[in-house]
Amino acid sequence: MPKLTVNGIEVEVEDGATVLHACEEAGVEIPRFCYHDRLSIAGNCRMCLVDMERAPKPIASCAMPAGEGMVIRTDTDRVTKAREGVMEFLLINHPLDCPICDQGGECDLQDQAMGYGFDSSRYEENKRAVEDKHMGPLISTTMTRCIHCTRCVRFATEVAGVPELGAIGRGESMEITTYLEKTLASELSANVIDLCPVGALTSKPYAFTARPWELTKTESVDVMDAVGSNIRVDSRGAQVLRVLPRLNEDINEEWISDKTRYAIDGLRRQRLDKPFIRGRDGKLAPASWDDALGTVAARLKKAKPAAMAAITGDQCDAESMFALKRLFDKLGSGNIDCRQDGAALGGARAGYLFNSTIAGIDEADALLVIGSNPRIEAAVLNARIRRNWLATRLPVAVIGPQMDLTYDAETLGDDPAILADILSGKAKFAAKLKRAKKPMIIIGMGALARPDGAAILGKAHEIADAYGVVAGDWNGFNVLHTAAARVAGLDLGLMPGRGQMDVAGMYKAAEAGKLDVVWLQAADEIDADRLKGAFVIYQGHHGDRGAHIADVILPGAAYTEKDGIYLNTEGRVQYAGRATFPPGEAREDWTIIRALAGRMGVNIGFDSLDELRAELFEIAPHFANQDEVKSARWAKFGGRGKISSTPVAAALDGFYMTCAVSRASETMGQCLTALRADRAQDAAE
Amino acid sequence: MRAMIDSLRSFLLLELGKGLFLTLKYFFRPKVTINYPYEKGSLSPRFRGEHALRRYPNGEERCIACKLCEAVCPAQAITIEAEPRDDGSRRTTRYDIDMTKCIYCGFCEEACPVDAIVEGPNFEFATETREELYYDKDKLLANGDRWETEIARNLAADARWR
Amino acid sequence: MDLIMNSYVIELAWIVGKIMLVVGPLLIAVAYLTLAERRVIGFMQLRKGPNVVGPFGMFQPFADALKLMAKETILPAGANKVVFMFAPMLTFILALVAWAVIPFGEGLVIADINVGILYLFAISSLGVYGVIMAGWASNSKYAFLGALRSAAQMVSYEVSMGLVIINVLICVGSLNLTAIVEAQRGMWFALPLLPMFIVFFISTLAETNRAPFDLPEGESELVAGYFVEYSSMSFALFFLGEYANMILMSGMTTVLFLGGWLPPFDIWPLNLVPGPIWFILKVMLLLFVFLWVRATTPRYRYDQLMRLGWKIFLPFSLIWVVLTSGFLLWTDNLPAVMAG
Repeated sequence: MPKLTVNGIEVEVEDGATVLHACEEAGVEIPRFCYHDRLSIAGNCRMCLVDMERAPKPIASCAMPAGEGMVIRTDTDRVTKAREGVMEFLLINHPLDCPICDQGGECDLQDQAMGYGFDSSRYEENKRAVEDKHMGPLISTTMTRCIHCTRCVRFATEVAGVPELGAIGRGESMEITTYLEKTLASELSANVIDLCPVGALTSKPYAFTARPWELTKTESVDVMDAVGSNIRVDSRGAQVLRVLPRLNEDINEEWISDKTRYAIDGLRRQRLDKPFIRGRDGKLAPASWDDALGTVAARLKKAKPAAMAAITGDQCDAESMFALKRLFDKLGSGNIDCRQDGAALGGARAGYLFNSTIAGIDEADALLVIGSNPRIEAAVLNARIRRNWLATRLPVAVIGPQMDLTYDAETLGDDPAILADILSGKAKFAAKLKRAKKPMIIIGMGALARPDGAAILGKAHEIADAYGVVAGDWNGFNVLHTAAARVAGLDLGLMPGRGQMDVAGMYKAAEAGKLDVVWLQAADEIDADRLKGAFVIYQGHHGDRGAHIADVILPGAAYTEKDGIYLNTEGRVQYAGRATFPPGEAREDWTIIRALAGRMGVNIGFDSLDELRAELFEIAPHFANQDEVKSARWAKFGGRGKISSTPVAAALDGFYMTCAVSRASETMGQCLTALRADRAQDAAE
Repeated sequence: MRAMIDSLRSFLLLELGKGLFLTLKYFFRPKVTINYPYEKGSLSPRFRGEHALRRYPNGEERCIACKLCEAVCPAQAITIEAEPRDDGSRRTTRYDIDMTKCIYCGFCEEACPVDAIVEGPNFEFATETREELYYDKDKLLANGDRWETEIARNLAADARWR
Repeated sequence: MDLIMNSYVIELAWIVGKIMLVVGPLLIAVAYLTLAERRVIGFMQLRKGPNVVGPFGMFQPFADALKLMAKETILPAGANKVVFMFAPMLTFILALVAWAVIPFGEGLVIADINVGILYLFAISSLGVYGVIMAGWASNSKYAFLGALRSAAQMVSYEVSMGLVIINVLICVGSLNLTAIVEAQRGMWFALPLLPMFIVFFISTLAETNRAPFDLPEGESELVAGYFVEYSSMSFALFFLGEYANMILMSGMTTVLFLGGWLPPFDIWPLNLVPGPIWFILKVMLLLFVFLWVRATTPRYRYDQLMRLGWKIFLPFSLIWVVLTSGFLLWTDNLPAVMAG
């Protein structure tokens, strides 16, 4: 714990901290371009120069380890002059095109030039010009603006794990390039836009659309995957223009996946903005709320409780699921299911949570992944695994198909029988798991969303017991969900009881003509054709699979358009704010259900969101504790039975288009096209 | 004594007479009125009149959608929407000025890095309806084309102090 | 029968003709007075005034009249409609009927009645009814306050005006206006009764609600005073009435103090100019002073206005009545009627 003095203030910092950390500890802000907390130290921008006693010249504070008794000054004339000199050098080749630069208004160079820049240039020679590089459909490049901080290179190499960015040339002719003019093959690629301190890398879909000062900023939570990344939704008027990450050390640190960031243009396309009723001619025709609710109410009244069912989607907020569940309870039906993929979840809470928490990944020393591809199912979480692997060479084994996880992982094969091998100690990886102090199992939907899912879950439970995955404070048994709504749905009990229908049961009943009404709450990942036999009510925001078979469409709100509670895969309670209003006549989902209940003369016990939440907290008190994880007691879960030999497949067949929003997104489509083109090119070579 | 003189003074309406004499004197003075529609006063090159969007000599519009004018506008009279043009350059798709909101402060002109939005010398743009005063990009560009000579002359005249 | 009919018809036609002869030019004079006001005040403020409509702005009054006529007549919802519409008519009619006794020249008068001055005084006092009715019927605070002020002011100044007229009457010994003019053949009363002339003129300013006594329509506090709710032709009638009153008051002043149609000196070539021309010139001169005063003086405060009327003009003119009659008695110059 070295002690040092910064501007006369004595501070004590942790071992391994740098002078820059010490300065921050003392409350002195140090300007910097290349230094970033989550990347390795490069020390090449020289903006962070400070004076150190007995040093002949200013030192780069970001690269100098803090030492005992150092005396640092950041307020001397020499420091100011040095920083002004660095700034002048940086500005020599930086174009004066702030007015057409998208970084304008949120640019580190711009801000720091206000502090250390001079109002005119002494440089009269020609500025250099650099050819722009192709980095795919997400990142727009203007390489002339680059100041060679190499943050993007370090990010791609260290965090994203795709060492496709690099610098060529030296001095003035140094250029950042992708070498082969290829799309950055990472799910986290767009984070380099946030990292870039200048406007060299900017967002392509967002190009020129808005300035930061025009935007309304709303703190929200991502629902594209079950990680629950903290995001900031920037909107102007009725449009969501961009999504930026919000710092949350426990979840996403400061990264978000490309889908989180760019699927939002799907919020403007294929929206359901007015109610529809399927007419006698078999076509959906626009209708009034009155008619739509009237039709739904009549149908629900006519149907027997046993012949009505509901499926909730993967992106529903807890409130709308709760409201629907309450309505079905009052109607006397228990046929409600939040597991549209049929995953064998439920029962003990430890059996469907990411028990170690996401931050717990940093502590794991062996990892067994069963039926999951964390890279596409939870890209941000995968970056954490990679960081552990980089630091400790974390042994990782995968049961499932061969995949590139950006770190070395031993593929044990996709035969579920390997689970038994591990349990019996026969498998190679069993020894590593045995040796580990904090072993971790991540089990994904690829293993659970299959008919024998319960048995696989039971087997995994046995492995956890056998290998000390749960020991003392450590619970390394983790379920990685793909649906943002899943944990909240299970916590609220949106699953059928004994003798009631789950999703598979509903399919069967619909095909047998025994299902009168099925309510789809933004449920699109279903086998739509098998439900056609029933009267389908679709409550949701996109004209996707569910809406196509619907007989009545009740237009609802997407995740940026309502205040909602989401529980991520850890069971962490997070509140999302409303950034814009739902389009057209669409309404927030709970209000639709409330209106319908009123129409049917059913008292569901709440008239406002606050009342709804109060009711919700009655049955699930932990929903009230924002940003907290209620840990689950280790208990018995899963089933016994025969595990079929069907290979363990991936839960998702791709990264970019996985939900109604991302399927409607043009940007995601472009990403997919670019990805396929690059793959085809690779295959040709 | 003094009081007597004062009351005599007011009794004889001396001040009133003085006042009347003064106004009579002015009655015969030359008049300062400018006979407006036929005569016009001279305008400073800095005169802030009707807005115009200028073009470069090759016909390319100057505005690059930096939105600084929109940001600086104290009356929030300017609305800009932008997107990349087909050639990839940054251009506005919408540039509206609500002339009924505008307070003619000239900040937009001052903020503009490319001298695109200017307040020209025209002040005779009264209309019969409010709708006509919601200027769009076409109207502003047309203004720029019509007044370019005068605007360029004014900018040149004031260039030393800019 | 025929004879009687004929004589009556001819008589009536002749009277109507005479009335037309007076009212027609009078209305034109009113119209041009408005223009003159704007031009004169403009000139005194170094402006040009209206000069665009027609040569020198000659058609401006007609443009204004057209505009007023084309406007919508607005009847306030809470107004007493009958009184509201009657008030401007009353004002306008009163401003015209007074002209019946004004002599334009020797024998050039519509009705040469013996109590002409009394008639004039009575008619001009009636003007206050139009104002009160307008203010009350409008059902508006501003109009009502304006009307109250106006009425108080008119009543106050009439008292001193009456005393001033008594000064003239005891010099003349007749209430007939022609006789009053004839009595000034040697010397206009403006000279011997100069203080009274000034008091009378200032009182006429107050009587016609002109600056600096235009409190009833003080824009800054009462918007427009008693006619704030009026528009279109009803407004125009008030407007015409006010200006016709100005001309009437100037005519009255001319008759009482400036020797009516008489030339300033009965010498060649002045006595070649016809009497009516002299009368009109004198009226125009007085009207110019009206405008001149308006361009010069700021508005009085209400208490100042009342103080001037009751505490200065009233005692002053009362004393002067005593002085004049005493002087005449002392020099044994009292007119025969009175002495008898």
